[in-house]
Amino acid sequence: MKAENYSQKAGPGIMSITGAGRSLERKLLFWAGIYAVTGMLVLYSAMPLKTGLIALIAALVTTVAFFLVSLYWSYCGYRGDLFLFPVTAVLSSTGLVFLFRLDPAYGIRQFIWLLAGLFVLVLVSRLMLDFHFLSDYKYIYAMAGMVALLLPIFFGEEQGGAKRWLDCGLFQVQPAEFVKILMVLFLAVYLAENKAVLTAGTRIIGWFALPDLREWGPLAVMWGLSLLLLIFQRDLGTALIYFSTFVAMVYTATSRLFYVFTGLGLFVAGAAASFYFFDHVRTRVEIWLNPWPYIETSGYQVIQSLFAISSGGLTGTGLGGGYPGLLPAVHTDFIFSAICEEMGLLGGTGVIILFLVFVFRGIKIALNSRDEFSALAAAGFSALLGLQVFIIIAGVTKLLPLTGITVPFVSYGGSSLIANFILLGLLLNISHEACETHET
Amino acid sequence: MKHNILKLGYLLLGLFIVLIIYLSYLQVIRGPELAVNPYNRRLEEFESRIIRGTVFDTRGTVLAATGYSPDPGKRVYPQGPAAVHLVGYISGRYGRTGVESVYDRHLLGMEGIDQVRNLVSRLLGREQAGGHLVLTVDAALQKTAADLLGDRRGAVVMLDTRTGAVRVMVSSPGFDPNFVDEAWSRLEKDPDLPLINRATQGAYPPGSIIKVVVAAGALSANPGLEQEVFNCQGFLVIDGYRLTDTAVHGNLDIKKALAVSCNTVFARLGLSLKPDGLHRAVNAFGLKKDPGLGIPVRPGTMVAPKAMTPVELAASAIGQGEMLVSPLHMALVAAGIANQGTIMHPFVVESFKNAQGQTVRQAVYRPWLTAATPDIAGVLKESMVDAVVYGTAQAAGLPEMQVAGKTGSAQNPHGQTHAWFIGFAPAEKPRLAVAVILENAGAGGSVAAPIAGKLFSAAAKRGY
Repeated sequence: MKAENYSQKAGPGIMSITGAGRSLERKLLFWAGIYAVTGMLVLYSAMPLKTGLIALIAALVTTVAFFLVSLYWSYCGYRGDLFLFPVTAVLSSTGLVFLFRLDPAYGIRQFIWLLAGLFVLVLVSRLMLDFHFLSDYKYIYAMAGMVALLLPIFFGEEQGGAKRWLDCGLFQVQPAEFVKILMVLFLAVYLAENKAVLTAGTRIIGWFALPDLREWGPLAVMWGLSLLLLIFQRDLGTALIYFSTFVAMVYTATSRLFYVFTGLGLFVAGAAASFYFFDHVRTRVEIWLNPWPYIETSGYQVIQSLFAISSGGLTGTGLGGGYPGLLPAVHTDFIFSAICEEMGLLGGTGVIILFLVFVFRGIKIALNSRDEFSALAAAGFSALLGLQVFIIIAGVTKLLPLTGITVPFVSYGGSSLIANFILLGLLLNISHEACETHET
Repeated sequence: MKHNILKLGYLLLGLFIVLIIYLSYLQVIRGPELAVNPYNRRLEEFESRIIRGTVFDTRGTVLAATGYSPDPGKRVYPQGPAAVHLVGYISGRYGRTGVESVYDRHLLGMEGIDQVRNLVSRLLGREQAGGHLVLTVDAALQKTAADLLGDRRGAVVMLDTRTGAVRVMVSSPGFDPNFVDEAWSRLEKDPDLPLINRATQGAYPPGSIIKVVVAAGALSANPGLEQEVFNCQGFLVIDGYRLTDTAVHGNLDIKKALAVSCNTVFARLGLSLKPDGLHRAVNAFGLKKDPGLGIPVRPGTMVAPKAMTPVELAASAIGQGEMLVSPLHMALVAAGIANQGTIMHPFVVESFKNAQGQTVRQAVYRPWLTAATPDIAGVLKESMVDAVVYGTAQAAGLPEMQVAGKTGSAQNPHGQTHAWFIGFAPAEKPRLAVAVILENAGAGGSVAAPIAGKLFSAAAKRGY
């Protein structure tokens, strides 16, 4: 209905231009919609009538909502990347289908968060179309970010061993999810401004050309922040994401492996120290090396995850055929294991490839972007999302120590979902800008 | 800087490829191993949603069923210990054995049409059911055989000679499969080893019953042997080792030598066969092979031909060497002689039925081995009849039918001799073959032979 109104207002001429502009996106969204509705139909056949109906309606409404966003962008002449949004649609549909399958109550809440996320996405694509104003206030939101990050240490709720939630009464917020984006933006501004100094260095110590304290100071603060997260919030996963994204961005900006190795060295030193001083870190590592002796206590989670993944085989047990009830925290950290169990290697690989496409488009946007700030921001967002996916999937498959973080767009969680839609919106805005400058 | 962004892209691509490779390794290569890990509750959960199929005997008596009341989901064995070694048991803690283990997938509806139907039921959240099995054994005869063995250690195997169907398979002592978990610590420590299926996995020296096999081998190696006359002086000296006989049998041919179980004649036959010939004779009856029953069978073992000294050769030919065989294998020997030299493939499952009760697979009768020519089998049969008429196996004789048989009293390091009997009935038109062993119970002729006779009689009354 809404689409028709726009076409009437816009008239046939404009419609043909804008319609052609994003028709590929809508074609892809159509298939994403078929995918979501098929998944829900399978669930519908096995569920009690009422919840089955809700699941089906959720899939249909989500599909229509994605369509409407695309149509709205067409109408506005938005030139953002055409592939990122459909990829996001498939990923979040996968998440929605699995959450309904695991627990309809989570499914319904995720559905509402998904609509909220789409709304936020539209806001970002409208209000932050010129995102360069962000570079003017970098220290303000860097401070804000740091405060937000440290708040849970003092006022936070502890859940599942990690202290990272803030209770806002109506719902809980995970500030770290949002601060990630602020960090990438801050680093992009900061590195774009100080690139020359950081690359060349201003004073020579031994063989190394070191930049001034004023230049590398903020970087040291970033490093300290990661360790603080690790120690006080017991949030190994978030610390790992922050730190690896940070190192990736510094290297991209300066080309200096010195920073990478110093960074890695410091992180290893910090990790080694916490291995000796903090029991929870030590336990994590021991479980990672050999979980079997701890099978009934701390190793339970990762072994259950391995059981779930390996029981999927090539094609999986089919949606509804697996035993995700045996997995702890299956709706957040272990949702990927449930996907692997029920959709098999093909489904699991499919999810990884979708993220790969997302990262590929992100890198492409970075390469096509107009200025260094945009390039660094786009590269940073791609690295952030890619590394997060890698860290959680490597964790549940026991390739790396297990860390409790979410799979972007797929796991249950409002903070995570909305933060990732903001990330998507900013990436799209960067590509929109690149598109405009390339063509005019 | 664009160059670095590209590098970052490649790094992320590399990480994702590592993930895909590792995931493939986990799901395809490690999968099967993790699936059977005892801590993986998936199989249990999977089973708890399926009503496991029922196991019937050949006449439709229930041997194992999943109950509805008073304890839904619990596996019940109405026949108790009578068929426990063949049917097996299911224990969450101690695993599963016998038919319950071998045909697990069928009983859980994981094969054929049941698999498709159960997949649909699972997705629709409906009840799932597994397939049923009809075994070849007869529950009443199982009970008779178990009662005949009593609390003595031993085993009985009865086969249909024309088809290979296993009618009786009893190992004693038994135990109640309904209370495996409760009794486990006692069963495991019991010196009488009740958990072992002696019928298929027992390893016994064959004693004199091996003479049937040696005679078959000697007759096929030398067709003129039937007319030859031997002289038994009650002992034989081989390489300075004196092998004594139970009696001085005087002049006798091979048929009489088998009927009276003359040791000196068979030691000489063994020596003339040479190690290779003896192995050939043993292989002809498949004693060292697994007949492919489904449930685990221990193939027989003996000293390799090259390592066989003349003393070992002569001792093996009278069943006192290092040779070890199972009761099932010896029942197959008797069945082969009864069936004109052809051993039928033994089997325990008559038919597989799906959850709806329709037969999906029926046992096919097929020959397993040609152990001897019909002529040689005829000669052996005659002397086994003689053994029952006037020889060592008289205690197996029945008034209503002619039984053919051979006894054995196998010396062993554990005390009294093992009492053996193998035979078949009725001799004119054989239908059933049997092997009976009682550990350390004395002479085969007085202990094992009467059990065989009573079992033949009971089987005939039930129409087999």
